[in-house]
Amino acid sequence: MAPAPSKLYADDVSLLMVLLDTNPLFWTSSSLPFSNFLSHVLSFLNSILLLNQLNQVVVIATGYNHCDYVFDSSLAANQGSENGRMPALCSDLLQKLEEFLVKDEQLHKEGSEKGLASSLLSGSLSKALCCILFYDLDICTASLCLIFRRFFDQGHSIHNPGYVAIMNSIFSAQRSMVPIDSCYIGSNNSAFLQQASYITGGVYLKPQQLDGLFQYLSTVFATDLHSRTFLQLPKSVGVDFRASCFCHKKTIDMGYICSVCLSIFCKHHKKCSTCGSVFGQAQSDNESASNLKS
Amino acid sequence: MPQVKIIAKNFMDMVASLPAMKLDNLYSNAFICEAILRSLPPLAKKYVLQMLCIEAPVSAKSMEEWVLADGATKHKVAIDRLLQLRLLTETVDRKRETTYRLNPVFQSNLQKLLVCGEVLPREPMPTNVIGKLPSLENLEVFAVEQWECFLLQLINSSQAERPSNISSSTMKVFQRGLLSQREKEAPRLTESGFQFLLMDTNAQLWYIIREYISNSEERGIDPSDLISFLLELSFHVTGEAYNINSLTEVQRSTIKDLADLGLVKLQQGRKESWFIPTKLATNLSMSLTDSSSRKQGFVVVETNFRLYAYSTSKLHCEILRLFARVEYQLPNLIVGAITKESLYNAFENGITADQASCIPWLFYIISFLQQNAHPRVAERIPSVPENVTDQIRLWEADLNRIEMAPAYLYDEFPSREVFEAACDFAREWNGLLWEDSKKMRLMVKAEVHTNMREFLRRAKQ
Repeated sequence: MAPAPSKLYADDVSLLMVLLDTNPLFWTSSSLPFSNFLSHVLSFLNSILLLNQLNQVVVIATGYNHCDYVFDSSLAANQGSENGRMPALCSDLLQKLEEFLVKDEQLHKEGSEKGLASSLLSGSLSKALCCILFYDLDICTASLCLIFRRFFDQGHSIHNPGYVAIMNSIFSAQRSMVPIDSCYIGSNNSAFLQQASYITGGVYLKPQQLDGLFQYLSTVFATDLHSRTFLQLPKSVGVDFRASCFCHKKTIDMGYICSVCLSIFCKHHKKCSTCGSVFGQAQSDNESASNLKS
Repeated sequence: MPQVKIIAKNFMDMVASLPAMKLDNLYSNAFICEAILRSLPPLAKKYVLQMLCIEAPVSAKSMEEWVLADGATKHKVAIDRLLQLRLLTETVDRKRETTYRLNPVFQSNLQKLLVCGEVLPREPMPTNVIGKLPSLENLEVFAVEQWECFLLQLINSSQAERPSNISSSTMKVFQRGLLSQREKEAPRLTESGFQFLLMDTNAQLWYIIREYISNSEERGIDPSDLISFLLELSFHVTGEAYNINSLTEVQRSTIKDLADLGLVKLQQGRKESWFIPTKLATNLSMSLTDSSSRKQGFVVVETNFRLYAYSTSKLHCEILRLFARVEYQLPNLIVGAITKESLYNAFENGITADQASCIPWLFYIISFLQQNAHPRVAERIPSVPENVTDQIRLWEADLNRIEMAPAYLYDEFPSREVFEAACDFAREWNGLLWEDSKKMRLMVKAEVHTNMREFLRRAKQ
C-alpha cells in the first residue's frame, strides 16, 4: 500500500502573476484592439483557475505612469457574483482596470513633461516578486507571466531608463527560482523580455497570429512548472544578450566595465557613476581597449 | 468472508467505472465537467485545455509530439485516463491513423466556463431572511463533532450520545466489512475497520461516501444522480446558506444523511429551511487530501512508551484503546502506554486471513501516531521516538516467528542411497523442508508430494 497517495496530484498547484501592459500609447497602434486582447486574457485567467481549485492568479497592470494590482483571485473567491449576469472575475477585474486607467491618465496630466514612453516594467516586476514572497510557496509553485504589447525598441535607446532596475529584478526572480514567461505582441523581438525569460528559465513567445492569442496563452503559459519538465515548449532561437551601457543607455557589443560594481559604460570615465570608484591610470589600458573595440 | 480492501480510491475512479451511457449524461452538468477536469493528472488537464478550442480530431502522432521523450509514460497515462473517462474518443481512420477528439458536450461546457467564468450552482440566501449565520469556526467544530459522533456510532453503536437518523440498514452497510459480526459475540473491528479508523478524515469520508453511493441502488436512487449532486455540493461556498426548496425530493433525503455525516448543517427559519455546506462537503471534489487541511495533532509519544493525547474526544480515546493501554482519562488528556499486550490485542483482531496483512497494520499504527503528533513534537524528526517504532516492529515480528506449511514426512527408507537421492530430488524441486540423515527421515512440502511419490516408486523398481 502506498504510504502517501495524498500527494498524487498536488504538485501542479500554481500561483501565477500576470503582468499586463496597459500603456495606451502602444495599444492604439496595435492590430489587436485592447478589448479583444482583454477577452483573450480573461479566458486565460479563467482557465488557470479552472485547472485546480488551489490555483491563484494575481494581475498587475503596468501603465504609463504607475502600476498596481488589478485582481487577486484569493480575495475575489469569497464574493461570488454580484449582479448574477457578469461573472465575478470579469466584473471585478474590469472595474479595477478602469479605475487604474483613469488614475494613470491623471498622473500623466500632472507630470506630463516627465512622461516616460515605456511601460514601467521594473516597478511591476518588483511588485510581483513581493507578492510571490507574500504567498506560501510550500503549497504551490509560482511563475510570472508578462504580456506586453511593446516594450521599447532597441533603436530608441534613450527610452530605456529602467535598465538597471529591470535587470536587478530579473536576477532576483532568478534567485528566488521564479521563471518569467513573456508573451510579446509586436513586430520585432524584444531583447529584454527574451533575456528575462532566458535567465529565469521561462518561455519567451511572440505569437504570430493574434486572433488565436488564447490558444498560445493556454498552450504555453498555462503549463504548471512540474509538467514543464516533460512537455515540448517553444525554445528560444537566439537571444540578444547585448547589454545597455549605464551612461547613455545604448545597446553595445563591447564597452568598459567597472571592476568593483560591474557597471557598464560605452566610454571611458574617470569615476564610476554607480559606485564612485576612481578609475586610475586608464590611459594606456584605454588604448588597448579601444583597439579591441575597433 | 468477503475481503474488503480499503484503498482511499478517489471519486473519479468511481465515476470512471460508471457505464458509458450514464457517464455521457453526467457531462451535461457543468460542475461535473469542472470537478472531473480538476481531478485529472496534470498532463491530462493540459491536453484538455490545449484541445479545448480545436473542433477537428487531432491525430495521435501529433499529440505524441507535445511531450519530450522522457514524458512518454506520463503521456500514455494521461491519454488512457482521458479515454477511460470518455473525455476523448478514439477513432481509427482508413489509413490506420488514430485520431482523438474531445467529448463535444464536455468541450462546450468547458468553453462556456472559460468565457463566463465560474458560476455558483445556486444563489445563497440573502442574510436578512436568515439572520445570523454560524461563523466558519463554529461550522468547522460542528462538522468535526458530527463526523466523530458518526464514527463512534459506527464502531460502537452503544457509545454514541445522539442517535442519528441514518437508517440502521444504511448503517449496517457502512459497518459491513468494518466490523465482523459473529453470532453470539459482540461485533469486533476487522482488519479493514482498524485501518479505516486510523486513516485521515478525508480518506474516511471517501470510503463512506463510496459505500453510500454504491449502496444507493438498493435504496432506489440512481448512483449517477447521487454523484452529480455530491459533486455539485462541493462547489457551494462554505458557510453560506442555501434554500432547501431548490433541491429535488431525492436530494432532500440525501442531504439529511449528509447532515448526519457533518457535510452540511441544516437550519430552520420561520418559514424556510436551508443548508449550510461545511468544509467536509467542499473538499469532496478535491482530488484527495491536501496537506494544507491537516488538523492539529494531539499525541505525544515518549521514549518510555508512554503516550499522552491532549484530546477531549471520545473517538480518539476509542482509537487509542485499539493499540494502547489507556491508564487514565483526565478532562483534556488521555494517558496511556504502548505495551506488548496492547499491541497483540490489536494484531489479534486482524489475524484472520493471512499473516502478511500485519504489515499494513503496523504501518497504519505508526503513521497514525506520526500524523497526529502534537505540534511540540511534530517539529522533531522523527516525531515518534525511534526506539518505540523499532520495538513495535520487533513485537510484530515476534508474532511471525512460526511459519506454517503443509508438508509430508517420509521415513523407513530401504537404503541410504535411496534416502540421499530423495533428498537431492526434493532439493531440486525446492521442496525440502527438513532432513535427518541419522534416522533417514525427511520432510517435503505438500506441493512436491506427488512428484516425490512418483520418484520413490521409480526408485523401488
